[in-house]
Amino acid sequence: MQFMALIYADEGAWETLTDEERQSVYARYQSLAEDARAAGVMRGGDELASTRDATTVRIREGQTLVVDGPYAETKERLGGYFLFECASIDEAVDWAARIPAAEHGAVEVRPVYFDPAEA
Amino acid sequence: MLYALLVYADQTRWGEMSEEEAAAARAESMPRWIAAFEELERADPNKQGIELDAATEAKVVRVRHGERVVTDGPFAETKELIGGLFLTRLPDLDEAIRLASIVPAAEYGSIEIRPVVER
Repeated sequence: MQFMALIYADEGAWETLTDEERQSVYARYQSLAEDARAAGVMRGGDELASTRDATTVRIREGQTLVVDGPYAETKERLGGYFLFECASIDEAVDWAARIPAAEHGAVEVRPVYFDPAEA
Repeated sequence: MLYALLVYADQTRWGEMSEEEAAAARAESMPRWIAAFEELERADPNKQGIELDAATEAKVVRVRHGERVVTDGPFAETKELIGGLFLTRLPDLDEAIRLASIVPAAEYGSIEIRPVVER
């Protein structure tokens, strides 16, 4: 089964980090990805650009509405994800707990329902 | 640029429907989802689509002071929740907006477009 680990964190906190601090966070992500790959559970992952660069599209009554900014003005925002292949959600939670952002933000683990790319 | 199209929708609307209504709604929207997939694939033959299971299946992981805290349910308390995403390599934001607007969920939810960080 595939599980997506959605990473939610305060973008403001990330922006206050020095380059050196960011490099050390990236190194932790890198080592998690390598471990997951070695364990055969790594199926993908991406880092999303800041929500400053987000654009949200809605259609209401036939009109296309395009606004700058993210869908929701929440403090913690989706910043990226991992895709894990695990036997159970508990195993996916074990991997998610190793994501550095779990220590200050939150990681939501959701089973993948259907992958059109594989259909 | 690689873009993530994040699909947000109110999932409770399915719960409020009878099985027949839900089946009819799916049957009605399915050709439009297929058309959207085909159009996305024309724009980027390597596009990926990932549909997530219901948010009620989610678990949220936080690590605080070295202790793991796992709770049930989605992270966000907003009415609309992420239900899936598309990853597409597109020439520009205008093309991303055009494609976001043909995703059926744009009519009842929101499509948030975010560039993916490529390092």
